[in-house]
Amino acid sequence: MAYYDSFVIPFLAGTVFMFAVIAWKWCRWIWLLPSEDKRAISKGVFTSATPKAVWEVISESLLHRKIFRVNPLLGYMHMSLAFGWFLLIVVGWIEAAVELGAGTPLHAHVFFRYFDPGAHAGGNPFATVMDLLLLMVLSGVVLAWFKRVRSRAMGMKRTTRHVLVDRVALTALWFVFPLRLAAESFMAAIKHNGGFLTGGLGDLIAAHMDPAVIAGVNSVLWWLYSFALGTFFVAMPFSRYMHIFTEIPLIFLRRYKVRSGDHTKSFDNFQIQACSRCGICIDPCQLQRDLGIGDVQSVYFLRDRRYGRLSDKVLDNCLMCGRCEVKCPVGIELNTLRSNSRQERVDSPALTRYDYLKGTDRSSGSGRVGYFAGCMTLLTPVTLRSMERIFAAAGEDVWWADRDGASCCGRPLKLSGEVNAARRIMEYNKEQFAAHGISTLVTSCPICLKVFREDYALEGIEVLHHTEYILRLLEQGRIALNAGDTVYTYHDPCELGRGSGIYDEPRQILGMAGKLVEPEHSRSDAMCCGSSLANTVIDDGQQLRIGAAMTTELERTGAGCIVTACPLCKKAIVRNATLPVADISQIVAERLQVSGT
Amino acid sequence: MPQFGFSISKPRAINLDTNDQVPAERLLQEVPELKTCIACGGCTATCTAGNLTDFNFRKMHTLVRRGEYREVYEQMDKCMLCGKCRLVCPRGINTRAVVIKIKRVLGDY
Repeated sequence: MAYYDSFVIPFLAGTVFMFAVIAWKWCRWIWLLPSEDKRAISKGVFTSATPKAVWEVISESLLHRKIFRVNPLLGYMHMSLAFGWFLLIVVGWIEAAVELGAGTPLHAHVFFRYFDPGAHAGGNPFATVMDLLLLMVLSGVVLAWFKRVRSRAMGMKRTTRHVLVDRVALTALWFVFPLRLAAESFMAAIKHNGGFLTGGLGDLIAAHMDPAVIAGVNSVLWWLYSFALGTFFVAMPFSRYMHIFTEIPLIFLRRYKVRSGDHTKSFDNFQIQACSRCGICIDPCQLQRDLGIGDVQSVYFLRDRRYGRLSDKVLDNCLMCGRCEVKCPVGIELNTLRSNSRQERVDSPALTRYDYLKGTDRSSGSGRVGYFAGCMTLLTPVTLRSMERIFAAAGEDVWWADRDGASCCGRPLKLSGEVNAARRIMEYNKEQFAAHGISTLVTSCPICLKVFREDYALEGIEVLHHTEYILRLLEQGRIALNAGDTVYTYHDPCELGRGSGIYDEPRQILGMAGKLVEPEHSRSDAMCCGSSLANTVIDDGQQLRIGAAMTTELERTGAGCIVTACPLCKKAIVRNATLPVADISQIVAERLQVSGT
Repeated sequence: MPQFGFSISKPRAINLDTNDQVPAERLLQEVPELKTCIACGGCTATCTAGNLTDFNFRKMHTLVRRGEYREVYEQMDKCMLCGKCRLVCPRGINTRAVVIKIKRVLGDY
């Protein structure tokens, strides 16, 4: 074979092995996709989704733009390794094609300096470019080492603790580029074919070392370089580095509108193995920040699920507040994956489980607008009273779904994994809504809101959170507020903000009632109150500590009143606050303009 | 006879020596704070399912702790996990975990 030397064997064996494993994984996952996902793919391939996916691959898999937003240095580290290495491969391939002609084997491209026929009159521009790229990748490697020692300097308080296979792959990867530099420099000492970096080092080596020693060291270095590459490639499909290739199909599938769902499916594999275990999800986690629980974060959940050793402790101990999900640079649906893991573990058919609900209708009133307070609102009666006053002021006829007790919405059960049982409750509630002929459903509980919107498929019924409904009344002039000079601060409930994308409505209402100041973390970065129904592990004291830390931040704003829009959040804040705490409906009800004044 | 909405439990004997305490002990291992329960019944008073049926959460976890499991699982199936009981519990017991763990020790998984 042309351009062959036995040192390329570890590299070639590793490469063949890696691509065989990746091809096997991808084919299997795609083969096992449910037919509706396959249909979504075939529908999406010849649309604008494909070029958009290509662009996203460039901007995320290569340039890592989202990580730049976390920290520029961290972004540069990821970019220099990914994009730098990619360019090294591409430019190296072009150089080898130019110098050796087309059709040369793979290893001749990768180890081009070794097989370089030499004799570049007037220097080789390729060598300069390749040295620049190598320098870029090496700077990334140096930053990666630096991050091990001082992650804070790169915007990360805590980094991931890695498993053995990750450590093997990581070590091999750290050695690949320094070994490449050394091997190419020694080769340059012999062949004088280096650029400014390898060539310069090569001249130094040639000037200070015996030619026989140089030749010996040179051949050892090429072996080591090839061996490091081979080791990395063999470990790669089983380690976190599987993300390098998995993120690409994930981006395409996501653009074709394939999503994870209530039940586990093959597509989940693309999401799980696209996790690079970068650890960006660890710092936002309040279980970590306030309680020091350091082994349940999304990175560990995905890792344990991938390797089939997921424990209840890791799976259940999550607030599902979504703070990590909005920060994930790969955009993995972390909450959905955790939910469907819980579903897979516990769910039973539950065909007759909630049959007792039939015939328990205690609803009252009638009207096109239905009001579903939600279990938690029934425990914060001031919210319920305030809504009664607001409805009365607007002259709205209301069907009161659960003022005297009614079924739960089903979301708490769904969050604990019992999707089938939750479905029974949802079916009952749906029948209720239909039977009472409502066209608008208002709820004061963001937990109910989310499940009504996402799981109920209520045709012909518009679902509104009371913040949206109140703002609509204000805009239509059906109610008006007496503005005051109270300074409010607003806490974004997880299920309302990150969960349902409602950030502006409550702020607009508060803007009409008084002055609004924002806490340090707000909107999509808002803190969780700690009472989340998704977590069944942490005890009362731990909930209290999370709530206290978050309430302190709200009180630091200097506001005179803390406002939120979720009964559960309100209860958590009240336990810790020294300031008055109110649901937004309470503020509105207190400031309602009585007609004629 | 007029119905006042309550009744008197039938007299019966509880034999703690012959009852199987293993599930009860497992439950207390998993949710040790249940030992601090003062049986105030707040959980039952606020219970969403309890308001619609005869489901009585205080009775259920008391039965389990005594090693009496008959019909407990079927009764626990009525719970909707809404979490109101946890919010009203004066001892801050993680009642939702109690529900889940009772079902688990009695055979869910």
